[in-house]
Amino acid sequence: MAVFTRTTKNLILKIDEFFDNIDLGLLVFREGIKAYLNRDFEAFHRHIEKIESLESNADRLQRSIGNEMITHSILPQHRAEVSTLIDQMDEIIDTIKSSLNEFSIEMPEIPDVLHNDFLNITEASVSAGEELIPAARAYFKAPFTVREKLLRVYYFESEADKLSRSTRRFIFQEMKELDLARKAHLRYIIHHIENISDLAQKAADLLSIMAIKIVL
Amino acid sequence: MILLYLVSGLFLGWSLGANDASNLFGSAVGSRLVSFRKAAVVASVFVIIGAVVQGSGTTITLGRLGNVNAVGGSFTVALAAAVTVYLMTKFALPVSTTQAIVGAIIGWNIFTGNSTDVKTLSQIVSAWIAGPILGAVFSIVLYIAVRKIKRAFEIHIIRFESYLKTGLIIAGAFAAYSLGANNIANVMGVFIPSFNLSEIQLGFITLSSAQQLFMMGGIAIAAGIITYSKRVMETVGSNIMELSSEAALVVMLAQALVLFLFSSTSFASFLKGIGLPSFPMVPVSSSQVIVGSVIGIGLYRGARNINFRVLGEIGTGWVATPLMAGLTSFFSLFFVKNIFGIEVGWKSSGSVSQTSPLPSSAGESVSSIAQYLLLALFIIGIISAALFFFLEIRKTKELSRSEEKFWKNLK
Repeated sequence: MAVFTRTTKNLILKIDEFFDNIDLGLLVFREGIKAYLNRDFEAFHRHIEKIESLESNADRLQRSIGNEMITHSILPQHRAEVSTLIDQMDEIIDTIKSSLNEFSIEMPEIPDVLHNDFLNITEASVSAGEELIPAARAYFKAPFTVREKLLRVYYFESEADKLSRSTRRFIFQEMKELDLARKAHLRYIIHHIENISDLAQKAADLLSIMAIKIVL
Repeated sequence: MILLYLVSGLFLGWSLGANDASNLFGSAVGSRLVSFRKAAVVASVFVIIGAVVQGSGTTITLGRLGNVNAVGGSFTVALAAAVTVYLMTKFALPVSTTQAIVGAIIGWNIFTGNSTDVKTLSQIVSAWIAGPILGAVFSIVLYIAVRKIKRAFEIHIIRFESYLKTGLIIAGAFAAYSLGANNIANVMGVFIPSFNLSEIQLGFITLSSAQQLFMMGGIAIAAGIITYSKRVMETVGSNIMELSSEAALVVMLAQALVLFLFSSTSFASFLKGIGLPSFPMVPVSSSQVIVGSVIGIGLYRGARNINFRVLGEIGTGWVATPLMAGLTSFFSLFFVKNIFGIEVGWKSSGSVSQTSPLPSSAGESVSSIAQYLLLALFIIGIISAALFFFLEIRKTKELSRSEEKFWKNLK
């Protein structure tokens, strides 16, 4: 029994640590984009290093959580869904890492006039991800509160969507001085930032169904 | 030879273990919260304890219904019940050992010209009806309580599940104890008047003749659980509706409570003591109680997923099983008496019941077999515990070694 209690405690700690990693990853992404826009490349590279260590830790935790749930037959009825949720949340931190790396490799030139727009898209997209974390934590402790928490994820996702659309429209219709290649590059970068909120929404959809199933 | 007479009862016990006892852990094993091995060990141990410690209450009631006073009669009555259970199971008809044995005893009463005590019979039948209803009521109350506790304390679902797993083992043990206490009368009840075994002294404990028979019946039930109940356990529960892990615990507890109420003489006297009506000591069908409990949860949740056909099947079982067992018993007694020339019983005169107990030498030989069985149980228990402990340690070590290897290779 003591062995089993320890396994339970360890698993709970690992799941919490995994969520902490995603949460920190989102924070690092926001700060990384800010540093890039402010041309503080030293800080930007520090953030890339940080996100790489967070992502690798999240991967390790993801595998370990899956292993423990199977070996100790924990949550047999909800195991597959919990694993999928963790997998989808891991995709968020994977995307954060690859987006920051894209910035570092391609070094996109973002005109000063677009800085605020980029910051706003980043803020909305990261917020969608950040609002997912308490909802995911609530699934394990108070599943009946999950759906109300998820409303904020959907709100920020739609905000990120709107901001990205208006920014892209501005780039392609108002900024005549930019050539098409640069416009396409900026669109691609915006898509990368916006992708985080899309992934958060995908995880939120799954979480919402999981919450209904566990409450019933 | 004497043991041959017991074979029909032991066969009935085995089929009870294989079918009815599967209900004990069915929902837990079906939802993969408890492994079959663990469930089978706990159920077997507690069924035997329940039968030996508390099996007498329901046996007295069955004795009042019909005091089978010849060992040939006991054999035939138990065989008729066992054959009925076997045939009805084979043709996928709803069946209960409890109802089969009652029908078989009534068949014996008719054959030997003994009158059936209508008061006892009505008590038994009302308990059959009350069992599933009480199961439903208990499961609704317990389900509400468990959900309220879960919600109020905001317990992490992984921790909650670890509590549930422990709860399922404890509730399963309680249910197995209650099943042993309640249903052992079906298996060995008819043999009690005919067997007079010498007492076995085990330190402070003395095993009476009836308790030795109950122990043998308990071992037969345990054998049924270990050898044949795995498939039934893995499918039970989902037949009526899908069960969540907390619902599995509630169903198990509700079933255990109902079986306990109908078999605990001390609880009955406690109720009498405080001026409340007590429950009759009647063997009830564990399958039907569990169906009632599952339907109770289904009703609370809005009756969306319930397969209501099973209710009709229960009703059919109340009539069809005793009828078929009664007919089988009557005709078998006729053959055993007139073709094989074995005495199957006679009409009891007045209030004094006449029985033909076995000769004392036969009783002593059965007693010594019971002693050897006890010793074997003790040795098997120790070996199994050691083996389980050893295997668990080895499994844990192997897992941690493979985990370490995995991360090392990944790096």
